[in-house]
Amino acid sequence: MRLSTKLLLYNVLAKGIILLIFLMGGPIFLHYFALKNIDTELLEKREYILTLISNNGIEGFFYEEDSLAGFGSYNILKEEYILLEKLDVAYPLDSIFNEERILDEVAVPYRVCAYVFGFENDYFLLEIGKSLETIQDLNAIIFRLMVILLILFIFFSFILDHSFNKHIFHPFKLIIQDKIAKINEPLAFDHSPIKSSTEDFRILDEAISQMIWRIQKAFNQERVFISHASHELKTPISILQSKIEALFSKGKLNHSEMEKLMDMQRTIQRMKKTLNSLLLLSKVNNAQYIKEEEFSLNQLIVEVVEEWEPIAEDKGIKLTTSRPLDFNLKNSNRSLCHILIRNLLSNAIKYSPSNSEVKINGSSISNGFLIEIIDEGPGISEERINQIQNGQVFLKDAHTDSSGYGLQIVFKIASFLGIDIHILNTSTGTNFQLTFK
Amino acid sequence: MRVLLVEDEEMIGREIQEYLNGESLICDWSSNYGDASEKIFVNEYDFILLDLGLPDGDGLGLIKEIKENSPNSLIIILTARSNVEDRVHGLELGADDYLAKPFSFLELKARMQAILRRKSGWVKNIINIGKFSIDIEARKVYYLKNSIELTHKEFTVLHFLLIHCNKVINRYQIAEHLWGDHLEEEYQSNFIDVHIKNIRKKLGAFEPINWLETVRGVGYKINTG
Repeated sequence: MRLSTKLLLYNVLAKGIILLIFLMGGPIFLHYFALKNIDTELLEKREYILTLISNNGIEGFFYEEDSLAGFGSYNILKEEYILLEKLDVAYPLDSIFNEERILDEVAVPYRVCAYVFGFENDYFLLEIGKSLETIQDLNAIIFRLMVILLILFIFFSFILDHSFNKHIFHPFKLIIQDKIAKINEPLAFDHSPIKSSTEDFRILDEAISQMIWRIQKAFNQERVFISHASHELKTPISILQSKIEALFSKGKLNHSEMEKLMDMQRTIQRMKKTLNSLLLLSKVNNAQYIKEEEFSLNQLIVEVVEEWEPIAEDKGIKLTTSRPLDFNLKNSNRSLCHILIRNLLSNAIKYSPSNSEVKINGSSISNGFLIEIIDEGPGISEERINQIQNGQVFLKDAHTDSSGYGLQIVFKIASFLGIDIHILNTSTGTNFQLTFK
Repeated sequence: MRVLLVEDEEMIGREIQEYLNGESLICDWSSNYGDASEKIFVNEYDFILLDLGLPDGDGLGLIKEIKENSPNSLIIILTARSNVEDRVHGLELGADDYLAKPFSFLELKARMQAILRRKSGWVKNIINIGKFSIDIEARKVYYLKNSIELTHKEFTVLHFLLIHCNKVINRYQIAEHLWGDHLEEEYQSNFIDVHIKNIRKKLGAFEPINWLETVRGVGYKINTG
């Protein structure tokens, strides 16, 4: 899971849990404070009535026929009531409690303040009640409001967090996607600093940049070393070649001498080939080739096939091509592509038995163009493919009596030019699939 | 034709000079920048073969002097340097071709001829051998008035052998001319035999081509008599 997604989830969950706690606890607190408020109100009213009784006497509360038996009064909406009742036996009471009263056959909850007091040798019970229905209604409304607010809060918080995360992680995305993931070789790394107000990302960017500088330096040292070493080797090879060619051009050699010179020439060619392969690998590794050419892949296939058709024919191999559509490859290198396809085709012809078939198929696919080179040869072992992909260099393959540069060059060029290679070993041979994008 | 060879490596310089003299060319040889600069100032050369890595300066600097003092001279850079930049820079400065060391003398001669044909028209475009005529410019082969279809590689092999007629050309030399730096060892040089076989088949359909001789185990030779 991405860090930004994790942060987003954490924020939403943390805020949600905190708000849920408030949502659950809110009505309880609200109820408590509402009751406290009612209690204070009831006590104030009690004090007021007691003051009235003290000043005006108690008779004013009773109708004549009641003869001080009791007094009761509800206001018009039955929200409040007051009850005054003469007691035969006095008992101490000063309490506030909840109680339901049946009014018009409906139970109505009341907060009741009950108080027993003495007045002129008599004892009276004073009850002042206030309906709790209003508080319960208010609680329900506030709870609904809070639920709606919670949902809205989480929704907007999610949107804002998501936008903020996206914005804040943008430099990180640039570092990973544009600077690291997209480059195939260290020399293509863009050292320009990313713009970010986040110090951590700037530090990360700088650290990666410095690491790539060190890698580039090592690559450059290798390039310079190979360049110098090859230069030093080319000069003696040139001298040997010139001497042998000078002997050849004299034209006064017998056949045995010519054969000896040919052996020397063969050795020189092998040295040249090794040197050229090393240089090619080094140049591709160090991105010393331009990738700005645009060319037709079909045309390239035609050229390679024309080059190798007579050789295949001579070996009794049928070389067939299928190119239904053309594909213009952009931002690539024609000569390297030529080497890549030629190496694969020459290998296919080289290792295929007589009277077999080598096919080159070109086809358009959704994300580019696919070239398949299919042979009926013995195939390449998985172990060998892995070794080549891991960059192991074989100076000599004892089994096939050839150098191991061919495929190494193929993989390096493909990596440099961004071509995907898949090798399928089938029961009938090998299928090299090149995907050009 | 007069050639100036600028090459600091004595053993290579001597061999190239001998080879060019053997090809009836007058070849002067300078082994350092100062001497080459003086020779360019004093003499008029048709060709200047220029090594870049000289002990007292960069050969690329000489190209400017050549362009100022001997603007008609044709320049081929000969170097063991492998930088693409050097190659591009040299050609931008006005060099006509670039030959990477180690190179074959035959390749050098073929390049010189190609430049001469391209630039001065000194080399004829049609070569006749027997009743066959080879049009170098159009890359066509005719028997009397009949056109013969050769592939690109087959024509290149035939042309290369014709440039060096009456000499034994070994398979490696031809292979190097065909594939340049991307030569695939023994295997690829053997393909020369296939191309020769096809040339013989296509041309031999009109009349026997005894002038194309096989030197067993070595290579081929075109005898012009």
